[in-house]
Amino acid sequence: MWFTSVFMKTLREFRWALVGWGLGMGLLMMLVLMAFPSLVTTPAAKASLVSVGQSFAWLAAPVRLDTAGGYVMYKYGLLLELISIWSLLACSRILRGEEERGSMDVLLAQPRSRRRVALEKLAAFWAAQALIALIIALLAYAGGVEVNAGYSLGDSLILGLDVVLLCGFFGSLALFISQFSVDRGVATGLTGALLVVFIVLDMIHRGFPNTDWISQLSPVYYFNVNKPLIPGFSPNYGALLVLLVLNIVFGGFGFWLFLRRDVGGIVRLPAFLRQLARPANPARALPLKAWSFRSLYARGLAMALRPTLWWTLGIAGLAAFMVEIAVQTQTNLKTLYESSPILKSMFEASGGGSSDFVAKILSTLFIFMPVLLMAFATTQASRWTGDEEDGRQDLILATPHSRLNVLLARFGALTTSTVFIGLVTMAATSLTAMTAGVSLDQGKLVAATLSIIPLGLLMAALGYLLGGWLRTAIETGLLSFLLVIWFFLSFVGPGLNLPENTLRLSPFYYYGNPILDGLPIWNMLGLLAVALLALALAAWRFTRKDIAR
Amino acid sequence: MSAIIEVEHLTKKYGSKRGITDVSFSVEEGEAFGFLGPNGAGKTTTMRLLMALLRSDAGSARIAGLDCWQQAVEIKRLIGYVPGEPSFDPGMTGGQILAYFAHLRGSVDQAYLKQLIQRLEFDPSRKFRQYSTGNKRKLVLIQAFMHRPKVLFLDEPTNGLDPLNQQEFARLVQEAQAKGSTVFLSSHILSEVEQLCTRVGIIREGQIVRVGGVNEVKDIKRHVLTITFANVVPVAAFEQLEGVSRVEALADGHTLQVEIRGQADPVVKAAAAFPVLSVSSHEPSLEDIFLRFYEGDGLAKKETSDVVH
Repeated sequence: MWFTSVFMKTLREFRWALVGWGLGMGLLMMLVLMAFPSLVTTPAAKASLVSVGQSFAWLAAPVRLDTAGGYVMYKYGLLLELISIWSLLACSRILRGEEERGSMDVLLAQPRSRRRVALEKLAAFWAAQALIALIIALLAYAGGVEVNAGYSLGDSLILGLDVVLLCGFFGSLALFISQFSVDRGVATGLTGALLVVFIVLDMIHRGFPNTDWISQLSPVYYFNVNKPLIPGFSPNYGALLVLLVLNIVFGGFGFWLFLRRDVGGIVRLPAFLRQLARPANPARALPLKAWSFRSLYARGLAMALRPTLWWTLGIAGLAAFMVEIAVQTQTNLKTLYESSPILKSMFEASGGGSSDFVAKILSTLFIFMPVLLMAFATTQASRWTGDEEDGRQDLILATPHSRLNVLLARFGALTTSTVFIGLVTMAATSLTAMTAGVSLDQGKLVAATLSIIPLGLLMAALGYLLGGWLRTAIETGLLSFLLVIWFFLSFVGPGLNLPENTLRLSPFYYYGNPILDGLPIWNMLGLLAVALLALALAAWRFTRKDIAR
Repeated sequence: MSAIIEVEHLTKKYGSKRGITDVSFSVEEGEAFGFLGPNGAGKTTTMRLLMALLRSDAGSARIAGLDCWQQAVEIKRLIGYVPGEPSFDPGMTGGQILAYFAHLRGSVDQAYLKQLIQRLEFDPSRKFRQYSTGNKRKLVLIQAFMHRPKVLFLDEPTNGLDPLNQQEFARLVQEAQAKGSTVFLSSHILSEVEQLCTRVGIIREGQIVRVGGVNEVKDIKRHVLTITFANVVPVAAFEQLEGVSRVEALADGHTLQVEIRGQADPVVKAAAAFPVLSVSSHEPSLEDIFLRFYEGDGLAKKETSDVVH
């Protein structure tokens, strides 16, 4: 059945995404909806929930947090946006990825037009995207029915449509960008970076007054306008239409360009956007003196250099942004509470106005720091496994270097990158705090930023370990799944009153709240010990295994 | 001369699938050894075991007296390797890849490296992903020869090379051999093996079926006599003769092709009974000999006739 057409074959490639993203995200929403009544058992608990929501308005608009639908939209709106990661990966793979592997040539040698092949592939993507959204919508509906959340099946389906249109946009964007580069990774990386930029742009109007026009530049803004799970909320069809038009423009243009360019080639950019073609310099053609080719470690560093710089920019930038957001949140709350003498006294009683209060807000935001560094480590560990799978280790292992050397040199380079990101994040955070005039405890700020390093190394070592047995796609999927589960345990678990022993299963538990509590030295040493153990096992495995092809 | 490559009862299984079984052979120092077999016979598995990219399930493999698995690093100082399917970082240029391997190997003569680039007409300024199959092959050939290795492991080394570069490759191998290098050449291009190698090992379904000199392998050849008679001659007059394995009458019935194993004497004598216009004989190429090892015992499977609608 699966191999009867290009459409079915492509759909088959997405089957794990359907299970992972659709069921995973849908079950998460259902569980949270079902747990909601336990969070608002008393009026005080309900008031507290609403109050906390106001503190994190920058993250998601806190609308009707006293309802199950409002709560789940507030808490998981951002996670739904992250399904776009799958969409952009899928869309950069279905055409450009096949061209990169050379399989598109074979496919187009069959008696099918290029238009039909591309259409079938895109149709498979949209079908998979729609199925993912449908599963989420149905599970969200089931969860809502269970707790009488007050929204209908139609409302859930509008949520699904909203997800399809947003994620589809990032897929379409990746498809469009992939027409301009022979490297699928460029389209993935650029679209991924734009996803982060658009998410941050959307956050701006919630953190800073009179900045709606900036957020309106982001497609994520139009996704968040619709909150169909909130009872009584009417769908904003205009926002849905904006997303639809963006999909048609980028997806359609990407498709149109694909039909007109060389297979394996690129669309030529206008001259003013093109890099000047430099004639090859014979002296440079054989760069025997270049630093990056002098050793396995140097090459590992060079390979990680570009992703490290991009991730550093993202992580350090976000950390600095969070400091700014924390300060701004305090200012907003102060303004709000000063309108009422009772609220003012409550605000002051909770530490409002002091640097401790900013630290409290910051400590909650900083849970994203280790998540991001671990995501970076996951991509780099996957690259290591991918190199072996694609036969890129064969020639290296034919040189007089032991397998252990090869592994340790590459891991050493990754460690250097991880430490670099940690240090730059620390510097960026301290500088922003200084310029914002917040006197945060420098020691604790350093602890909060440097404590992310052992978590990154742990993820990298686990990736190397799993790569000893698993193929790249499965390894990456498993690491991503672990990351989501751990995040869920630490971010949602306390709200669901999960037992302490269950919460301990997540490495984020050991990260704790360093901005408030200082460096959890023993926890960090423990994480490092586990990372070392995983690395030792990975090395043991790598020095004994068959090198895969 | 002493054996530089010694393989004894080497066995490798991929789970329930066959790899190689009980493979034994040796290669003398300075020798060019051809390793022949069809696709999937186990040539690459054997080579990857010798390169310590795979770990054997049983048996042993030694190069220059060193165990291929235990002393892999020492062995790799001695060898140059051309993998069957070259792959490397697609974003690196050929020159960068060569510079990298030159550093990893150490003591690479830069002048010789540049000379190799010139001889194979290789453009080192392009990215790996932009190279054609032939250019990727040139790149891995250069990195295999650039440190003047004592042993060369070449897995299908001329795949994708044009005839001119195939000739240049042959010259490189001959030069290396003249300087005392040992060559282990895996291929299914038999003319290449015939040209470059002195001994041949044939592998089939993971097992060595024959090892011998190229001429020795040819000794099992079959002669094919093409005899043209003045009249139509009955095929039956030749079919039952000693050593005759096949008789085929060509279109007009005047010409017979007689395949003979061993001496031609009975056929010549039988032909003398008819008016003969011409006689020609040809010896089978190594290709023909090679094919013989894969026919007759059900290995040349007929294609199934399933049609996909």
